Amino acid sequence: MSTVTTPASVDRELAAIVGEGNVQRTDFDSFNINGVVPSAVVSPGSAEDVGSVLRLANERDLVVAPAGGLTKQQIGGVPERIDILLSTTRLNKVEEYDPGDLTISVGAGMPFAEMQRTLGEHHQWVPCDAAHLEHATIGGLLATGAAGPLKSTFGHMRDFCIGIQFATADGKVAKGGGRVVKNVAGYDLMKLLTGSYGSLAVITRVNFKVFPRPRQTRTFACSFHSLDEAMQFRTKLLQSPLTPMCMEIISPGAPEYLRDTEPANDPDHYAPEQPVSLPAVEWQIVLRAAGSDNVLARYARELGSAVTRTLEGPAEEQLWGWISHFEQNVLARHRNAMVLYTHLAIQSVGPALQALQRVAPDYNLIPAAVGRAATGNLVLALMPLSVDPPSAMQYANCVSALRGMLPAGSSAEVAYCPLEAKHHFDVWGTTPTDVNMMRAVKRAIDPKNILNRGRFIV
Amino acid sequence: MDSSIIRQLRKIAGKDAVLDRPEELMLYEYDAGVDKHRPGAVVFPQTTQQVSQVMKLASDKKIPVVPRGAGTGLSGGAIARREAIVLSLAKMNKILEIDVPNQRAVVQPGVVNLELSNATTKYGYYYAPDPSSQKACTIGGNVAENSGGPHTLALGVTVNHVTGLEAVLPDGRVIELGGKAQDSTGLDLTGFFVGSEGTMGVVTRITVKLTKLPEHVTTLLAIYNTVEDAANTVVAITQSGVTPAALEMLDGWMVRCVEANVHAGYPEDAAAVLLIELEGMRETVNEQAEAVSAVCMQQKAREVRHAKDEKQRQLLWLGRKTAFGAVGRVSPSYYTQDGVIPRTKVPYTLAEIARISKHYGLIIGNVFHAGDGNLHPLILFDSRDPQQTENSRKAAKEIMACCLKFGGSITGEHGVGLEKMGLMTAMFTEDDLEVMVRLRNAFNPESILNPQKMIPDLRYCREITGPLPKAKVEPVAGVPV
Repeated sequence: MSTVTTPASVDRELAAIVGEGNVQRTDFDSFNINGVVPSAVVSPGSAEDVGSVLRLANERDLVVAPAGGLTKQQIGGVPERIDILLSTTRLNKVEEYDPGDLTISVGAGMPFAEMQRTLGEHHQWVPCDAAHLEHATIGGLLATGAAGPLKSTFGHMRDFCIGIQFATADGKVAKGGGRVVKNVAGYDLMKLLTGSYGSLAVITRVNFKVFPRPRQTRTFACSFHSLDEAMQFRTKLLQSPLTPMCMEIISPGAPEYLRDTEPANDPDHYAPEQPVSLPAVEWQIVLRAAGSDNVLARYARELGSAVTRTLEGPAEEQLWGWISHFEQNVLARHRNAMVLYTHLAIQSVGPALQALQRVAPDYNLIPAAVGRAATGNLVLALMPLSVDPPSAMQYANCVSALRGMLPAGSSAEVAYCPLEAKHHFDVWGTTPTDVNMMRAVKRAIDPKNILNRGRFIV
Repeated sequence: MDSSIIRQLRKIAGKDAVLDRPEELMLYEYDAGVDKHRPGAVVFPQTTQQVSQVMKLASDKKIPVVPRGAGTGLSGGAIARREAIVLSLAKMNKILEIDVPNQRAVVQPGVVNLELSNATTKYGYYYAPDPSSQKACTIGGNVAENSGGPHTLALGVTVNHVTGLEAVLPDGRVIELGGKAQDSTGLDLTGFFVGSEGTMGVVTRITVKLTKLPEHVTTLLAIYNTVEDAANTVVAITQSGVTPAALEMLDGWMVRCVEANVHAGYPEDAAAVLLIELEGMRETVNEQAEAVSAVCMQQKAREVRHAKDEKQRQLLWLGRKTAFGAVGRVSPSYYTQDGVIPRTKVPYTLAEIARISKHYGLIIGNVFHAGDGNLHPLILFDSRDPQQTENSRKAAKEIMACCLKFGGSITGEHGVGLEKMGLMTAMFTEDDLEVMVRLRNAFNPESILNPQKMIPDLRYCREITGPLPKAKVEPVAGVPV
């Protein structure tokens, strides 16, 4: 663990900007980010104050890590250092909401679930079902490009965000987009900042387009004896007139983590408590459909005998909650698990899952995966065996073997793995998008590299 | 243009692939918008490598380059000045790959929008964004402008359908952004690039999503005795939980204009009509059609007609799609606006437009994408009458001011280009624009590519690019689209 202390004079200046009570100098253990602890935790109360903090940091070469609900801070590389953890949690108000316009404007520090409840009163929502929405903030979800199974049809944050306000590294408060659903005035900064992991600017306010919430849904789980059969079924579905809201593939190892379980006493120990609810050889495709009784009846009819379980109501909600929290469940059970997020072409989903199943045992890891079968966004988990657990190097070798087997044009970032292993490989990996161009964009907007230094790809 | 430059361009792209005679250049003076300038030369590269060589030459000699697709843009984005080279992508017009299993197509930038849908319907797929000019406009141009269209209400605009790009930077470097996957690790530069109006790079290859053809489509025509009732229906439909594939509005004047032209079957005594399209699974569409009809009737529609068959459906759409042409028949000149307002403000804004119309004594027709609040008021004037010309310009300005007052935007799909550059400061602060300039400079540091477009003349821009002439919002005679 490493700490760098900011000089007392900087602390005083920070307090002058945000108020004495909003600079924290103790109890930093809860802010441990990949072994790095911030010297000061600052919570500005306005976008202008965020700008002032950044201006100060930029002048003094202090490294800033923007933070919301701290649900995804462990994703990414090991920060070089963190002088200031800039918390957006005081920017937590609904600034504007007119249900008739189907748009909402909210502070970046508002927990997502809180916004969702406000929208729920008018039977509307922002269709995002990423994990930990009670704590995860809107700014954090945007910055990490977080998504869940709903990404299949609705896309993710980049597709809902119609306007954004942010503070740049040199302290300017600027914006992109606006409050209307169609707008091409100026560059699309919403796309640029979504998934930028706080490395370009600190998001302070977000405008979303919102959607009417479906009134009725039903979930159909279909089981298959092999990955091939599951993939053939998926392809048939994609070509059919059916338009399910979610389409998840669940690997044989995954159901173990799709249920409520007590965290294991020894979190490194892989030991299923009970025989798993389904035979461990089955692949599943789980569909969620929305519509009237008529529409849902047609799903049942067309899916026919492939359906092994139909879920509605609380049981259905519970299953989708588990799917959203798959990786969290894995990490709660296995401190040393590794989790990857993939970006694949539709036809690369099968080969990627096959690669996972084949590579994992070579490194004493147990594979499990869930993910969006129609968009190629999979969550791949690898759990260490309790006997002969892998070394840090073996994680690195496993990742490189796995990446090597992915079809061309794929990318896979390691979201979570033991800290020791992070020193042995690049967690972000290769990407089809020009990395030099990404770096040029970073330099243009944060030339001194004060934002999240060392964490992201740029 | 310097004859040695022309020689070098010919060496790169071929003898017949460069135009420099005045009579040839005249054809490249304008797009479908209001500005007009004659470029120094036009070059038609056929490969990415040639585009790269042209850019390298231009960079070395500091000659501005303006990329151009079909020239159907409405904001002057493809207009070049005397000293500039127009880089036409018209000869890079091949569909490189149709990858049905991955639901993607890979195309060159000069492929015409509708051509791609025509090539893919046989597989049960199409390319969803459908600008009104889709029979002529190119996908490269669509990427530059982030084009919309009537059917983007439910399915999203161009940026939602592009997953990969190959582009040439001003210094000639070729970059790859994204690919066939929905997204990729790292910054979403693909999404950021779309809509950059040719100020970041020249797109030379595009990977787009193909959308499954819907099982069922139905079109409704709702007829109203007042504009307010039609406008209120728009709000009521979006609140009802139904997202139509398209939700278009024509006011009474437009209805009569269109009827006189194509006889689409619109009632000539209506004050406004809504054209509502629903698509998807048969059961869903049928239920939604009933729900939408009920909403229309609640909002005092005089009548709701369902297209009985495909022929009737096409006829209803013909009215909408030929609306601009129909106006051209009755007025010597008109000025197309493109403003966006929050949906609930549609009734107020239309009332305000009616007031502006009366105040200046000019007819303003309204035909627009009501579902997403994207207005296209058409201001009719006689360009031979200087007073009318001046008034049309003032009316346009007041309409834009009205959009901005309601928290709207100065452009929903036509782009900023030259036309709206002067209005950018009404929507963005100097700091906002400075961030955009800094980001542009990461791609296009010397503003060789499409200079003096999109981002207006600010102190900061001046420091980087030298003094820039002011943008003008000047209506001229002509028939766009």
